[in-house]
Amino acid sequence: MKLKETYNKLLAKQSARAGLLLVLAAAITLEATGIVQYLFSRKGIREEATQRAESQLEATKLKIINIIDQAEAAVRNSVWLAQWALAVPDSLYAVSRRIVENNPVIVGSTIALVPGYDSRHPLFSPYCFQAPGEKAIKVSSLATEGYNYPEQEWFTKPLELKAGYWSEPYIDVGGGDILMTTYSVPLYDSNGRIAGVLTADISLDWLTDLVGNVQVYPNAYSMMISRSGQIMVCPAESLVMRRTAQQVIADMDDTSAFAGVNRSMLAGESGKAVVRYNKSTTHVFYAPVEKTGWSMSIMVPDSEIYGNIRKMGLVVKLLQLLGLLMLILILRSVIKNLLKYGELNERKERIESELHIASGIQMSMIPKIFPPFPERKDLDMSAAIVPAKEVGGDLYDFYIRDEKLFFCIGDVSGKGVPASLVMAVTRSLFRTVSAHESSPQRIISTMNDSMSEVNESNMFVTFFVGILDLTNGHLRYCNAGHNAPIILTDTKRPLPVEANLPLGVLNGFCFKDQETYMNYDDAIFLYTDGLTEAENTNHELFGEDRMKKVLSTRRPSDGQMSAMKEAVREFVGDAPQSDDLTMLFIHFLPEDETFKTDRHLILHNDIQQIPQLAEFVETIASEKKLDQATAMNLNLALEEAVTNVIMYAYPEGSDGLVDIEAIIRKDSLEFIISDNGVPFDPTAAPEADITLGAEERRIGGLGIFLVRNIMDSVSYARNDGKNILSMTKKI
Amino acid sequence: MEVTINRQDDKTIVVFTGRLDTPSSQEVSNALEPVVADAKGTIILDCKDLEYISSSGLRIFLTVRKAAAAQGGTVIVKGMNSSIRSIFMMTGFLNLFQIEA
Repeated sequence: MKLKETYNKLLAKQSARAGLLLVLAAAITLEATGIVQYLFSRKGIREEATQRAESQLEATKLKIINIIDQAEAAVRNSVWLAQWALAVPDSLYAVSRRIVENNPVIVGSTIALVPGYDSRHPLFSPYCFQAPGEKAIKVSSLATEGYNYPEQEWFTKPLELKAGYWSEPYIDVGGGDILMTTYSVPLYDSNGRIAGVLTADISLDWLTDLVGNVQVYPNAYSMMISRSGQIMVCPAESLVMRRTAQQVIADMDDTSAFAGVNRSMLAGESGKAVVRYNKSTTHVFYAPVEKTGWSMSIMVPDSEIYGNIRKMGLVVKLLQLLGLLMLILILRSVIKNLLKYGELNERKERIESELHIASGIQMSMIPKIFPPFPERKDLDMSAAIVPAKEVGGDLYDFYIRDEKLFFCIGDVSGKGVPASLVMAVTRSLFRTVSAHESSPQRIISTMNDSMSEVNESNMFVTFFVGILDLTNGHLRYCNAGHNAPIILTDTKRPLPVEANLPLGVLNGFCFKDQETYMNYDDAIFLYTDGLTEAENTNHELFGEDRMKKVLSTRRPSDGQMSAMKEAVREFVGDAPQSDDLTMLFIHFLPEDETFKTDRHLILHNDIQQIPQLAEFVETIASEKKLDQATAMNLNLALEEAVTNVIMYAYPEGSDGLVDIEAIIRKDSLEFIISDNGVPFDPTAAPEADITLGAEERRIGGLGIFLVRNIMDSVSYARNDGKNILSMTKKI
Repeated sequence: MEVTINRQDDKTIVVFTGRLDTPSSQEVSNALEPVVADAKGTIILDCKDLEYISSSGLRIFLTVRKAAAAQGGTVIVKGMNSSIRSIFMMTGFLNLFQIEA
């Protein structure tokens, strides 16, 4: 009896020590994972912020230059007409009138003659303008005594420079206090003698909206300054056109903070800077708008960029604590119960109840209230998880961010408590990494790298990540050694899946991203091998055929879950469950029932196939009831983009294909044009310079100019050896 | 796509009928060679029945305009429907030609 007591004490001491060590090891592992995650996230977030800001700057700049170009074009292309009209000065107003009439961006125009050029009028400047909100074009004269136009900047500068000149922006007091700028060019008569100046007034009220609406982050803001530093657009309206950036900076407590950025902006440079002022840090991204001398900047507070990651860090810490708590709980119960080995039954019950608690904690980590998004009509989802022991190593997770459904399913090698710990870590890693990554491949790679770095137990996880864009059905996914999900469509196509390697096996493994589109009423079924490998008493497996047979009947997602469970139960009978069984069913039901992505056209690289585009657009146009002009414009944009591919993608004489896909949505149409030709980014090719007159115009570059002007957004990507041009038109 | 050319003294009337897309531009460009070669007079490009024009079609118009400018001729674009007119406006072509309804 005494021996037994000593033995018990010894056992208790040793178990307690081993338990403590185990908890300590687990804590260190979790903390290390956390740090690795944090560093990864911070770098990714910083890169993403920079990319976001720079692409917004570039896009906004292009839009501005486009309008500026149109105005320059209108003026320069009218010079020949003005030269004719010089012979009869009274007809000059008709030229100005024509410019205002033919060019929506121009609200006023004049031809002002140098004093004394016309012997009958010492000063002559008929002004045609369109007052805001009025259709009629009015005529007045700028040759008044009070105004004295020969001394105005718009008149003197182009004559001095002998070239086109953009005036400093100004507030037009007469025409309803709108922000304006004037473009003027010198005018020579047929003898080469300087005759006057031809101008166009551009209203800049669109600029305030365009620049003001650039929203990289909720609390970020943008500014525009003129070449002299005058504030043109800024969230503080009281400063607009009243102060210069230099004046605002001079009033600051620390005048040096923003001075450097302002100098670079005034010098027409582009770049980024981090400015500390008043204890807060701001990231400034800036770029010049060529021709006008303006400079635009986007300011992002530091807290906007890194705010999320701090919140996420807290969540991770909490989850880690929860995991440790769970471990301690289980260990304590195991040790305690070990000591009571005489009371077998009680011990068993206790362990069972503790494991029950652990299982409850584990289950609380995964979403299990169905339907998960009751307010959404476009998603019908269900999931089920049945662990073979009280706690299991299977997991699934899903959530919606930015109208994208992020979902995953995984299976940890092994079963029971160790597997469940790895499962908890995997799930929290998925949440953290996917919070700022939108590429399944990058999510998987980051998870794999941090898991294989600290994988001492050599446990691995088969894992599948999918991201479904709920606005267009675009499904991107990446697999890490998991069973291929089943995609249920009209054609019952299987989801082609690269096997790759499970998570935690090989640090730095290069995972492949894949993509497809889901149509209205398509569904995807994900499962772990506990389903197909469920065994009956004769050691037969449930198998894929039985699984597919259940799926072949169309049911709502919860019906599908219970039908599958029922089929397994019936098959297995009295045999004990050997492995965890997990299923996830996602049924895609976008609100727009006409939502279809299977409008497809494939052409050879032969220019004679171009007329097929007209039919293609015609079917879409009649389906969406588009008007004639919109249909024609779409046809034109498509023809230009496809012609580009046919002419330049493939070497002369070789056969190649152009794939055109149309995605039809409620309020927009997207065309995706792809080819396997040489890398070629048409959006980077030089556009036609529509500012040139007929004589200087190059015959080319008009195509991409038309595409840009017709479509609302155009973007190019090179992916898997393919050129992919995507263009969207709002309808 | 059909194009007819009618020359009387120093006045040339070119009538476009149908769709002036990339494949048809080649033929039209060939057909207009004599007009481009001799562009001294007034050239009327009649677009009443022109249903569609792509950038390759616009280039033909520009070629005629350049030839006329070099040789002292005048180009009048006539009868454009509103969708064609909007393409001309978008590309700044409206300013390059004398436009008639």
